[in-house]
Amino acid sequence: MANIFPRWSNWLPLKIAFCLIVLGGGVSAAFLYYMNPEYMRVGYQPAQPVPFSHKIHSGQLGMDCRYCHSFVETSAYSNIPTTQVCMNCHSQIQRENPKLQPVRDSWQTGKPIEWVQIHKTPEHAYFHHSVHVNRGVSCVSCHGKVNEMEVVSHAESHSMAWCLNCHRNPEEFVRPVAEVTNLDWVPAEGKTQKEIGAELVEKWHVNPPVKNCAGCHR
Amino acid sequence: MSKRIFQHPAEAQTGKRYWRSLGQLKDTPEFRGWLQREFPQGASELDSSDVSRRGFLQYMGASVALAGLSLASCRRPLKNLVPFTKAVEWSVPGKALFFTSMMPGRNGGMPLVVTTFDGRPTKIEGNPNHPVNKGATDVWAQSSVLDLYDPQRSRDVLLDGKKSDFASFEKELEAILKAAGDGAGLAFLSDGIVSPTRDRLRREVLKKFPKAKWAAYDPNGNPLERAAAEAAFGAGHEVVPRLDRADIVLTVDRDILGVEGDIASVRGFAARRKVDGPKARMNRLYVVENRYTLTGGMSDHRLRLAASRSGAFLKALAKEVAKLSGEQSLGALAGELKASEFKFKDRWVEECAADLWANKGKALVLTGSKQPAAVQALAIAINSALGALGKTLEVRKSNAMPSDSIESLAVELRKGKTAALFILGGNPVFNAPADLRWAEAQAAVKTVVHLSIEKNETSAKAQWHVPAAHYLEQWDDSFASDGSYVVGQPVILPLYMGINANELLARVAGVDAEPLGLVQKTFSDAAGGKLEPASWAKTLKAGYSAGSQAKPLAVGLSAETLSKLVSEAAPVRLPDGEFELVFIADSKVDDGRYANNGWLQELPDPVTKLTWDNAALVSPATAKKLGVETGDVVRITAGDKSVEIAALILPGHADDSVSVALGYGRSEVGSVGKGVGVDVFGLVTSSEGRFRVGVKLAKTGKRHALAVTQEHGALEGRGADITRQATVAEWQEHSEDKDFFKKMGIDAHAPPNFSLYTHPKLDDVHAWGMTVDLNSCIGCAACMTACQAENNIPIVGKEQVLNGREMHWMRTDRYFASEQGAEDEPEMVSQPMMCQQCENAPCETVCPVNATVHSEDGLNVMAYNRCIGTRYCANNCPFKVRRFNFFDYNQRSITELYRWNLISEKGTPETIQMQKNPNVTVRMRGVMEKCTFCVQRIQEAKIAAKVHAKDSGVQPRVPADAFTSACAQVCPTDAIVFGDIRNPESRVSKLKEEQRGYRLLEYLNTENRVWYLARIRNPNPKMPDASRAGAASRDAHGHPAGHGASNGGHA
Repeated sequence: MANIFPRWSNWLPLKIAFCLIVLGGGVSAAFLYYMNPEYMRVGYQPAQPVPFSHKIHSGQLGMDCRYCHSFVETSAYSNIPTTQVCMNCHSQIQRENPKLQPVRDSWQTGKPIEWVQIHKTPEHAYFHHSVHVNRGVSCVSCHGKVNEMEVVSHAESHSMAWCLNCHRNPEEFVRPVAEVTNLDWVPAEGKTQKEIGAELVEKWHVNPPVKNCAGCHR
Repeated sequence: MSKRIFQHPAEAQTGKRYWRSLGQLKDTPEFRGWLQREFPQGASELDSSDVSRRGFLQYMGASVALAGLSLASCRRPLKNLVPFTKAVEWSVPGKALFFTSMMPGRNGGMPLVVTTFDGRPTKIEGNPNHPVNKGATDVWAQSSVLDLYDPQRSRDVLLDGKKSDFASFEKELEAILKAAGDGAGLAFLSDGIVSPTRDRLRREVLKKFPKAKWAAYDPNGNPLERAAAEAAFGAGHEVVPRLDRADIVLTVDRDILGVEGDIASVRGFAARRKVDGPKARMNRLYVVENRYTLTGGMSDHRLRLAASRSGAFLKALAKEVAKLSGEQSLGALAGELKASEFKFKDRWVEECAADLWANKGKALVLTGSKQPAAVQALAIAINSALGALGKTLEVRKSNAMPSDSIESLAVELRKGKTAALFILGGNPVFNAPADLRWAEAQAAVKTVVHLSIEKNETSAKAQWHVPAAHYLEQWDDSFASDGSYVVGQPVILPLYMGINANELLARVAGVDAEPLGLVQKTFSDAAGGKLEPASWAKTLKAGYSAGSQAKPLAVGLSAETLSKLVSEAAPVRLPDGEFELVFIADSKVDDGRYANNGWLQELPDPVTKLTWDNAALVSPATAKKLGVETGDVVRITAGDKSVEIAALILPGHADDSVSVALGYGRSEVGSVGKGVGVDVFGLVTSSEGRFRVGVKLAKTGKRHALAVTQEHGALEGRGADITRQATVAEWQEHSEDKDFFKKMGIDAHAPPNFSLYTHPKLDDVHAWGMTVDLNSCIGCAACMTACQAENNIPIVGKEQVLNGREMHWMRTDRYFASEQGAEDEPEMVSQPMMCQQCENAPCETVCPVNATVHSEDGLNVMAYNRCIGTRYCANNCPFKVRRFNFFDYNQRSITELYRWNLISEKGTPETIQMQKNPNVTVRMRGVMEKCTFCVQRIQEAKIAAKVHAKDSGVQPRVPADAFTSACAQVCPTDAIVFGDIRNPESRVSKLKEEQRGYRLLEYLNTENRVWYLARIRNPNPKMPDASRAGAASRDAHGHPAGHGASNGGHA
């Protein structure tokens, strides 16, 4: 009886399997890379209705973060400033600047400015600003060097693994509470962040939820 | 080591048993099903839809493919952050604001504190400053926030059912008032709410239109109680029971702890049920009633008696008391109620009277507010003889202005001379006594203006319907049940432009109708004319005017008018062989006003555990006589009218008596209340009041499915494993035995526990725990509603409840306990049941995806986003407290659950979204959920402690009792206490150490974090039924502890 399958077909299953593995591996790798907060979120830099520059306000003028984000120490949310806050200064300075027209319009009409959200807490997670900034976690740890950003972009991945990195090793990030809004703070000479951090973590009894899911998910 | 399988020993068939239902008592296959499965067989099949499981999967595939075609899902959706233009005072985004307010009701205003997020009220609590409710509320206050957001609330001014507007209404109103002259053609029908501002405006209206008629009608109001009090003490007086002062209480057909009471009574009673040791004195409660009520459930002695025989019972009691006290006048008074053919258990009455007399000055007799005025007057006379006046029964000046009755108004309207009738709230077309034929009377009026929060039966028959504001939307005021002045502060602008009764009356009176000004004027008038901004602000901040409580009056009994009232009354007779029909105020929908509130409709009735329905409650013996089972439709014929309604067999019900809840079967109502229950207002007559005798009952042969939850979540275990009790005498006998309550039931037999697993240390500075005092829990289910409001728990609809899929995180289990063969006279126990937060949680070990794990502070937590819905955890939970989202209950209406999910409408009405607690995840389909001990409040408190500690170096720790869970906060009897058991200062850590403390199913070694404090009964040893009381746990001690301690366990 003649062979039904030609000789080359002997290798066919292996070839198919190999291709499938490569394809599957490629798809998985692509998925892992592209569908990752690291890729999806970092660098997101939408245009805002008002070209507000954190670089000028916070960097050059040295305004404290809390002048505008005034409830960050008391509330779960770090609030976006009201038009009124903008007008505190801009009723005096840059009164004719066309870039500020939307702010003046908002003030006159009472219609709020619709800023574009950049940092969004993932679904099912509850983040609390006040407990972080009051316990020595700086703005820069999560939002990057906003004081150097002309246009704000998403600096960190805000993935769960990234959160847990700090929750597991708080000493690598914790700094004196007075320096929380000082984005350019560096540890005093002769000391590393880890040394200062470890000292503060022990002194303050810093104990962020690590194994307690309900710390963030409720 | 040999395998350790613990076999539940068979329950002894003798002695006392606990049972949830007759199904359990008879051990029916249906009950076995509920016991052994978390959900009934086939619960995961889409059983009642036309879509099979196979078809469903095909649709699923199609929908996934469709979703893949749309590229929009690849883009990050643009989201905006919209701050205020101008900062709003006090408003901090993400933080709750609390306002004092008040909920108007028939027992006066309930002082509240309302939680708001960004201007949206989300949760209602009692005002903790107010001396009456001290932070407690009831189911109605808890669920009223849902009424506010009801998308089917009335939104428009209607003229003859068609949309109109306020301007046209005002024009019409002007014309009516212009033509009114001295007001002879004007009539008002109020809903009976007492508000000083409304009364002030009423006087203004009557000043302008002196001949206008003013009537008040509340179907569940108590005009007869008032009539009796006025006969006894003169016009304008009312009597207020002080249960906090009473050692011995006898209630006759009065549900003082339920629908016929208020928070003051409940708190007063519970205060006398707090026992810290066997020597503590607690009160004793005798109850005479026709059906089991919450009051009956708390009784130490209970006599089931037809409601129509209550008068005769009181007569017998009066005779006994007269004999003991030697007061001839009381005996003479009693003699005039000619009903001597009624037989009672003589010794019951004798010993009860003796006990009351022995505690003269500390005894109290209460009778039903629906009993004839003569019967209530007799009760006042008995109280007087017992020295109760001024002590356990206070006389006060009534705050309610006298009004005409609806009966006299109907007569007036029929004359056809009334040009305009203003109906301020209420729904008389639906719930006026049938013999008034109110709809016809109303039709004789030229213009009927109906002000109502919903479009109901009366709106449909009125020319003008005006949307009313919810009490959280407008300024109002009232008196709390202690008579103190409370202000109702709005916390949101009217959602649908509604106005309240004050505004309408002000327009009629022609005064400025600015609602705040109206209330402020009342306030300043009371203070002497000028508004003091400081005292107004102080009142608003406290929620009430301190020191404005009503003073008790020392008024003597006017025996003459009292005996006249008693002697003029015709005795009610219930001849043998006839049925009595008792109309009961519903524990959920009231007179029908809350019919469109899903939380209330789905809340199981505290006693019957019935949801989404009303039923004819009958005793097992009566049911046997009629040949009906629960769910059989019976025809009730009273006079020439009849209704058909399903029967529900309720143990402990009086024989030859039928009880039916009013308020169901609404026809003009939103989609939630439509088609729910049967309207029995058609059988109510104004002459016979709330019970009718000579009623006929017949089986129709039809069946109706009743969604009763009493067998759902049945626990494997024997009576005393779950709920434990003892009498005072037994407790005193075992006062030295630390394990007396701990070693009952199976725990008396169980070998010592050991665990095969190693357990991670729970080493947080906090350890959360809870105690539930069964001795003060009355089973009112306020905790269930509070939990629902706090934790965004959806409703699922009747069909789903029938499938055992109700979502309440906590339930109140109601047990009956009885001797073998004495199931007709059971005792009742209520037990709140929530997640026990086991330290060795059986649910955690079976979760394949680690979605339910333990936290260091001892919580059994759920990570919803990890849950894949295997339901293994629910299957392994010995307490059956886990709930599964079989459908997208939050996204789809309860009528659309089974429709193919691509075509059925998705989404929650915007207003309902506004009610949701922003700190709790709204769960989706396929996710398991359960009680979290209000983890959002725990986290909030822990965060506050950490923020407070800041960089001080102090160990952050939540102060003792700094916050509490929603169920503990609402509890009117303070039965539930939540806190940190690691903190020796906290209440919970002290309470759990009490001798009465025990944990459920201890032999499973689950190490629960919920402790129950055993129920203590205080029977009078001289009573004929004394041996019955509290005996349920007695048999449990028959065996020495540790019996059967071997690896083989019990076989």
